[in-house]
Amino acid sequence: MKELLERLEDRFTVTESDVERDNLAFITLPSKEVVQAATHLRDIEGFGHLVMISAVDYIERGIFQLTYILHNYDKHSDIGVRTEIDRRNPVMDSIHHLWAAARVYQQELREMFGIDFPGSPRVDEPMILEGWDNIPPMRKDFDTKKYAEETYFPREGRVTYDPARAMEEKNYPLEARVKKRIQKLLREGKDED
Amino acid sequence: MNLRDVLSPFYAWKRTLEKPFTIKRPVEEVRRGAPGYRGFHINDVGKCIGCGSCSRICQNGAIDMVPVEGIKSGHGDSGLRPRIDYGRCCWCALCVDICPTGSLGMSNKYNWISPDGDEFVFTPGVDDKNWDQSSEGYRRRDETWLIEPVKTDMPVLEPEVRRRSFEEVAEGYDDELARREAMRCIECGLCIEACPTHMDVPQYIKSIRDNNLEEGLRILYETNPFSESCGRICTARCQDACPLGREGEPVMIRWLKRYITDRTAPRAREILADFHSLPQTGKKVAIVGGGPSGLTAAYYLKSYGHNATIFEMHDELGGMLRYGIPEYRLPKAILDREIKTILDTGVETKLEVKIGEDVSLKDLYDDYDAVFVSIGAQRGTSMPIEGIDTPGVLVGVDFLDEIAKGKRPNLGEKVAVIGGGNTAMDVCRTSVRLGSKEVVVLYRRTEREMPAAHEEVEEAREEGVRFEFLTAPTIISKKDDKLELECIRMELGEPDESGRRRPVPIEGSEFKITADTCIMAIGQKVENVMAEQVGVETTRWGTFEVDEDTLTTNVEGIFAGGDCETGPDDAIKAIAAGKKAAYFINRYLKED
Amino acid sequence: MKERRISETNPWEPTWCDVPKLDLKSERYVKIWQGPQHPGVTGNMALELTLEGDVVVDCRTHVGYLHRGFEKLMERRRYIQCFPIVCRICVPEPDYNEYLFAAAAEELAGIEIPERGAWIRALVLELTRTAFLTMWLGGQAAAFGLGTIGQWSVAHRDFILDLFEELTGHRIYHMYIIPGGVRHELPEGFAGRVEAVLERIEKIISDIEKVMFHNAVFKARAKGLGYIPPSWVEPYGITGSTARGAGVAIDVRKDNPYLVYDKLDFEKIVGGESDVYERAVLRKEEILMSIRLIRQILKRMPGGPVRAKLPNVFHWRIPAGETYVRAESGRGEMGYYMVSDGTEYPRRVNVRGASYTHAMALLERLALGVSNADIAGLMTSIQTCPPEIER
Repeated sequence: MKELLERLEDRFTVTESDVERDNLAFITLPSKEVVQAATHLRDIEGFGHLVMISAVDYIERGIFQLTYILHNYDKHSDIGVRTEIDRRNPVMDSIHHLWAAARVYQQELREMFGIDFPGSPRVDEPMILEGWDNIPPMRKDFDTKKYAEETYFPREGRVTYDPARAMEEKNYPLEARVKKRIQKLLREGKDED
Repeated sequence: MNLRDVLSPFYAWKRTLEKPFTIKRPVEEVRRGAPGYRGFHINDVGKCIGCGSCSRICQNGAIDMVPVEGIKSGHGDSGLRPRIDYGRCCWCALCVDICPTGSLGMSNKYNWISPDGDEFVFTPGVDDKNWDQSSEGYRRRDETWLIEPVKTDMPVLEPEVRRRSFEEVAEGYDDELARREAMRCIECGLCIEACPTHMDVPQYIKSIRDNNLEEGLRILYETNPFSESCGRICTARCQDACPLGREGEPVMIRWLKRYITDRTAPRAREILADFHSLPQTGKKVAIVGGGPSGLTAAYYLKSYGHNATIFEMHDELGGMLRYGIPEYRLPKAILDREIKTILDTGVETKLEVKIGEDVSLKDLYDDYDAVFVSIGAQRGTSMPIEGIDTPGVLVGVDFLDEIAKGKRPNLGEKVAVIGGGNTAMDVCRTSVRLGSKEVVVLYRRTEREMPAAHEEVEEAREEGVRFEFLTAPTIISKKDDKLELECIRMELGEPDESGRRRPVPIEGSEFKITADTCIMAIGQKVENVMAEQVGVETTRWGTFEVDEDTLTTNVEGIFAGGDCETGPDDAIKAIAAGKKAAYFINRYLKED
Repeated sequence: MKERRISETNPWEPTWCDVPKLDLKSERYVKIWQGPQHPGVTGNMALELTLEGDVVVDCRTHVGYLHRGFEKLMERRRYIQCFPIVCRICVPEPDYNEYLFAAAAEELAGIEIPERGAWIRALVLELTRTAFLTMWLGGQAAAFGLGTIGQWSVAHRDFILDLFEELTGHRIYHMYIIPGGVRHELPEGFAGRVEAVLERIEKIISDIEKVMFHNAVFKARAKGLGYIPPSWVEPYGITGSTARGAGVAIDVRKDNPYLVYDKLDFEKIVGGESDVYERAVLRKEEILMSIRLIRQILKRMPGGPVRAKLPNVFHWRIPAGETYVRAESGRGEMGYYMVSDGTEYPRRVNVRGASYTHAMALLERLALGVSNADIAGLMTSIQTCPPEIER
């Protein structure tokens, strides 16, 4: 694994590399080098099996992380090739010419994250979400709870109480008020009443 | 194609006459679920305390916590019970595995039909179902329990070392121990109600997990400016309410509080600088008594922008925290540091002034816009028995007071301590430290009825203190240069108004004990001479009569709180009173 | 007999190149939908087939009828709260999801599971494989009209489900393999009851052998159908018995041993004919091998605790990191890619369903040139499982 990482470092701009365990390592590359690296890994290093292409939304850093996990059937080891792409303009080079199955992953990423893979067959066709008119749902800024509350309706008559809050209201409302007023005084400098 | 391939399929005909795998309709006998099946819930509502852990772990939002008629809220029971929406339940039983009391379980009933969909929302154990008594089904077991029932032990000094010194017994958690103990909290918040000043316990425990102790200190000071002392000597009613204590050991809330202050108190002033205070109002408040209650009131009154002046009869502040609690439980340096944080806000102090004697309360009432009386209950009481005035018979609080002032009297070889409260524990453990070889505590009820903290009793035992339960002295006399205590054995009779069983003497069980010193630690009372000076009403026990909600006395502008209002009680209650007094004094001053 | 084997074209030539531009208005073609509700479709997915006479000239797969967004739901649940939902990602083999989720979380959190826990996990995984493949045999036969075998195999799968009910408390979604080990100890006398069921399964397999594998009709239809050249295995991401059928000897249990598979005695089952018939034979062999493995496990299982204590699950944070774990399910390589950012919630969990690529890219390719009547059998043969495709 170590030698492999060294060879890759010689050839590509590896900005980060983590060895997770003996047979799994992750490297981070600039997005421009990913297709080249994937080709190299497949044809020279023997990583012939594309396990998956996955994306992680790091909304706070304004990027999507794409992870290509490749497997070497001879050495029984995996390598995860990570790259970061701009969240505002999420476009990535397609690898459907390397693995026929890649087009399915890319179609899904296009739909679920809104990452475009120009040239990937049928990439713009809806895969799962026919008729979806919201933002891509796997993005972190898509709030599933809010969506569910707006789209579906809850069972009527359900009501719940927080134990601490319920005891406060029932057993010591006056003391609770004193406590809250003093908290407000200390935290915000406001004296209400 | 060979012949075998043509004939072989006819083998299937061999099953022609077999009994089919089908079930007759209508279903005559309902198939029972396996003994460990996860079916409809059952709940022992008497055991359930409504902590809501089931509701919070449910990833489907299937469990609501609802009030149930006939179940009272309070004392570590929220009065709520889980109500389950079976339209959402996924039968994963995490609610069963997290349950701190083991009340929630699942029966193996899975087939129940009702045409009314709303019937599938019910409160197990409250709404009767025919599987409520089922002994089969999924139950929490030790290995499936998601809660850590064992507390993180506090490193303490060895009993041998403790016997010889007044050094603090508990050494405090280090980062790792504190983090581990903080992880045990399940954030139900039942402790908040149990705390007299209603500290936000789950929040400050969270600050430990988040390693944000500065915020933790701020949370502490929102409700309690004596957190550092409370982290050591609080009676920790919160821990009695903790659900983890039902079937395991409660979260050591007090030690966690101490951990936060241990790490942050030296920088308290800087950290608390974030707190706001209102502009000066120019109003003056006199606070009589510089104990926890008075100092707390002063701290919050300063935040409200009022001037606070504390009148204290001793030469140092702290009240019972200083004069009633021995060094080995609360080092004076810690108390000094904490009081300094309060005084740094600009509280004025007048030491060695005894209101009622040196200055009349009337004068104070005339000079100040409001007065808060928090003089505590400092006068020790003794028993009405023969020989109580014999030299060598001491009063517990006075004895502790002397120790606090630095005196180290020689008590002799053998000391008898009368009483079963925290003061009795302080007295007996102090006696051990003063070098007495044999210390025996006489208490008229059994260990179960002792008001002292269990932990203290254990630690006293470790230090060699002996306990004589169901024993009371009747006559004390001097024999040679020793005291002779004539004692009688007791038995427990009917419960009295406090709910504890009344001790009744057993005829003819008299026996004698000799001792060099006998210390009475059976109670304290309030010195209320000053009350008459302005006409404040007192109760028949000598405590100040106040409106419980607002702490106002019958004289407008005079407030009273703490032990002098409640009778002898713990520090945290006095702190709560001080905080409440500050709030209502501010309201009173604003209305002026 | 008509030669229906697809010529071995350039493996790198992607699917869409084979599809000629079809003039749908020419009245030469018929377009039909198979699914989402169709007895010949496994689970709920749809095939949009363009037929020329009886022969499929274009196939488009449509999924999405079972999409529940589990991966997204997990992002707002604490780790322990993900545990009850991961099993729902695959109906016939839920335990692989439970195991992989637990294994990924344990690896990132650095939790060691007790040895007995690992053995019980392997037992559960092999039992579920047996249950799934037994049912699958029935499905494969039924797709060619041999409905009786479906009844036999589904009924016998139920005996395994009875075992699961007794062991875990539920029949389908067991929720038994929990992070830290397994939920609790085996019930008393469980091994004996497992053995009794295994014997029944062996017996029915020998019956199925006679009725299915020595059936002239089945042979005529399944042999030569759905040929997958070995050179397609990598480009299409084919794994499991589908790849082994093509002579590519890959099996995660042997190649990347997990749990206790390095201590068990077994061999990869590899074929070479790579058609529907042979894949069925291989899977029948796998059932028998699973049965042998279960017997080995029951015999050699050590004592001890079954579960490691987790930190308080309300505040369980997993250190930042990412990992990929895999296991050999009945359908092939199943894997979980988990990313943690150090909080109490997973940042991202991505499931590699074993049949993800089989059901979409591969099926669209394999269907070309196949008679419409054989599509159902072909689809079953590559073990599509829609719930794990769309999660």
